[in-house]
Amino acid sequence: MMLARAAENIYWMSRYLERAESTARLVNAASQVLLDLPRGASFGWDVLIKVVGLDKEFHEAYAEANEDNILRFLISDLGNAGSIYSCIARARENSRILREVLPARAWERINSLYLFVRNELGGSLGATQRYKLLDEVIARRQALIGLLSDCMSHDLAYQFLTLGCYTERTDMTTRIVDINAAVLMPRHQVPEDPSLGLLWTGVLTSLHASQMYRRHVSVHLRSAEVLGFLLRDPHFPRTVAYSLNKLESTLVQLPHHAAPLKVLRTAQRRVDTMRLDNLSPALRHEYLDAIQTDLVRLHDSVTREYFRCREVAPAPRHAVAA
Amino acid sequence: MNIGIDNYPCQATYDELIDRDGAVRPAAKAMMDHLTGLGLAEIHARRAAVESAILNMGIAFTVYSEGENIDRAWPFDIVPRVMAASEWLRVERGLKQRLAALNMFINDLYNEQRVIRDGILPAGILAGSKNFRPQCVGMKPPFGAWANICGTDLVRDADGTIYVLEDNLRVPSGVSYMLANRLLMKRMFPELFKVCAIQPVDAYSTRLYETLAALSPRTGERPVIVVLTPGIFNSAYYEHSYLAQQMGAVLVEGRDLVVGDDECVYMGTIDGPRRVDVIYRRVDDEFLDPEVFRADSELGVAGLMRAWRAGKVGIANAPGAGVADDKVVYTFVPQLIRYYLDQEPILPNVPSYLCMRQEDRDYVLANLDALVVKPANESGGYGMLIGPRASAAERAACAERIRADPRNYMAQPTLMLSTAPTLVGDSLAPRHLDLRPFILQSEKMYVTTGGLTRVALREGSLVVNSSQGGGSKDTWIVEDPT
Repeated sequence: MMLARAAENIYWMSRYLERAESTARLVNAASQVLLDLPRGASFGWDVLIKVVGLDKEFHEAYAEANEDNILRFLISDLGNAGSIYSCIARARENSRILREVLPARAWERINSLYLFVRNELGGSLGATQRYKLLDEVIARRQALIGLLSDCMSHDLAYQFLTLGCYTERTDMTTRIVDINAAVLMPRHQVPEDPSLGLLWTGVLTSLHASQMYRRHVSVHLRSAEVLGFLLRDPHFPRTVAYSLNKLESTLVQLPHHAAPLKVLRTAQRRVDTMRLDNLSPALRHEYLDAIQTDLVRLHDSVTREYFRCREVAPAPRHAVAA
Repeated sequence: MNIGIDNYPCQATYDELIDRDGAVRPAAKAMMDHLTGLGLAEIHARRAAVESAILNMGIAFTVYSEGENIDRAWPFDIVPRVMAASEWLRVERGLKQRLAALNMFINDLYNEQRVIRDGILPAGILAGSKNFRPQCVGMKPPFGAWANICGTDLVRDADGTIYVLEDNLRVPSGVSYMLANRLLMKRMFPELFKVCAIQPVDAYSTRLYETLAALSPRTGERPVIVVLTPGIFNSAYYEHSYLAQQMGAVLVEGRDLVVGDDECVYMGTIDGPRRVDVIYRRVDDEFLDPEVFRADSELGVAGLMRAWRAGKVGIANAPGAGVADDKVVYTFVPQLIRYYLDQEPILPNVPSYLCMRQEDRDYVLANLDALVVKPANESGGYGMLIGPRASAAERAACAERIRADPRNYMAQPTLMLSTAPTLVGDSLAPRHLDLRPFILQSEKMYVTTGGLTRVALREGSLVVNSSQGGGSKDTWIVEDPT
């Protein structure tokens, strides 16, 4: 038995936590990659705000797109609803009303993660310190996931946790893969340009996927292969295919799942049938954009199906007795 | 350096742990020996650890201040308040006796009103009661129990007598802090639990569940129990979620519930409406049902009273139970115990003056500087006048209020509340405290082992309410030393 309002809360809590961790990984990966870039490289920190899709919001709030401002915006700016601090603060607010649903320790962990972020991530951070602190955010969030996986019944509440996590994750992976759209490639650059290789390194690192890519695919970073791995590999937990499969196996455990499942299958077919060889950046962007639209539709469908029934007066005559 | 008790002032009033000669009372000896044996640095380290645990565990209460809600960490003192089991046993019997009589009284008021016909309670008191709900007349909740959960405040005077200060029969809070305090002590001072024979407190959640389950209108299956909270901005929200968590109940808000045409209560789940059997409501009467009480309430559920009256849902505490939670009715409790149970009260009331009586009123008005004046229906220490501490202007204003509405005021002598050693800086200092045990009644009765000890952290202060600078201590009932 799962209260609709609680289900919505746990779904969002899970999305916020996933987003916070993804952003932390993204910033740390970018910090590494940018160090290796030759002078006059065609991309910089501003790529990050394009990847997370907050270009417009950033420029409304800040005059200059420099490293300091961009990192502040992504890490500690409470005015940015997608900053790490905002996400964790919102996850904490959501979990406050979930204390009877989540294992007791989980609330404690989320709360202490919040206190950590509040106390440590404010202000301007040096690069070394920043790397360490964001790594700590990632580690704490991973510990939390482990705790939930191990100490919580894999019941309805857990299914909504999984839905939130993998919906957010698929979205973020497609955005990161789409990084080329955010980078203005000079026309003369050939596809196997070395700085493109660096870019793919950054993409894989930000998904903690470098090692597994090398192990299972290749030590060389070729666009089609990286793309194929991140979209279609069924075994690495941050690929689009893996996440969509996870969403599918989660959805089928929920009651009346026909509508959201149909939307999900559309996305799965799209990924399966995509042609990856010699894909132009423009077409690739179009594909990835279409997947993101599928995810929005999935979210809407889940919302309609599960979170909104409290807004409709029930017809008690047909009510199911508990 | 250690925290010693050699210079501890123990003459002013009764101290819970130290006797008048400066010796530690037998029940507390093992604990005090251990604490004073720890170095000062160790004590401070443990205290810092407790504070960080409180922060991380999110044990907080919410205060409404300047238009926004702020979560304040729960102020906790590491020195426990200790009571011998033999003394507690008597208190426990007294508490059960008292709640049994109060429930018979409430049931009587809403039904035959024998207590008024027999001249025990003046009819005028009922007429002037703000918490009497005509909508509840004729109801007979299961087991005759209206107040299923009661928090009774006890204080000890200078001579060592334990008095009942008030009975909280509406939506008493604090029990989660009692449970959390014990958790903190176990985490930070595990070794103390080996040297002292401390009775456990954690049965409460299970007993509460049983108390509520017994109110279910449906039998034979596991009842669906919900905790109804006003929401995240309520000062006791932490407690609501904590109790739901401990009982495996669902924490709901009014907007999650709806009453169907069949007069059953349903909650909106992801799979459609599900019937609810028992509601542990932490919402005041006035806000429970906009059909019957305040029409502007968004915290309640329209039709809830219909469902309850039709016997389709159990509600704890029953609507209307607050009629006995009135500081004027309080003064009659000893007579009520004699009347309904034909027993002598085990726990005495604090001597009280009822301003509605001419003679008492004259006395109160003439002695405002020595008395504590309380309005009949406020809680949390609001609207109270502590005569000896008040200014002449405050006393004059209070006298005005009494003359305008005598039924609404009662007064008591200023008790010299007992103290217990409390860690202040680098040493132990006496601080005043009270005790709020919780009593449950439906099919069976249950009393918490001890209760929540609240302590006034400011030197000399007698106000223990958390909203007004109070803190708390773990409360130990220990086996009597042989």
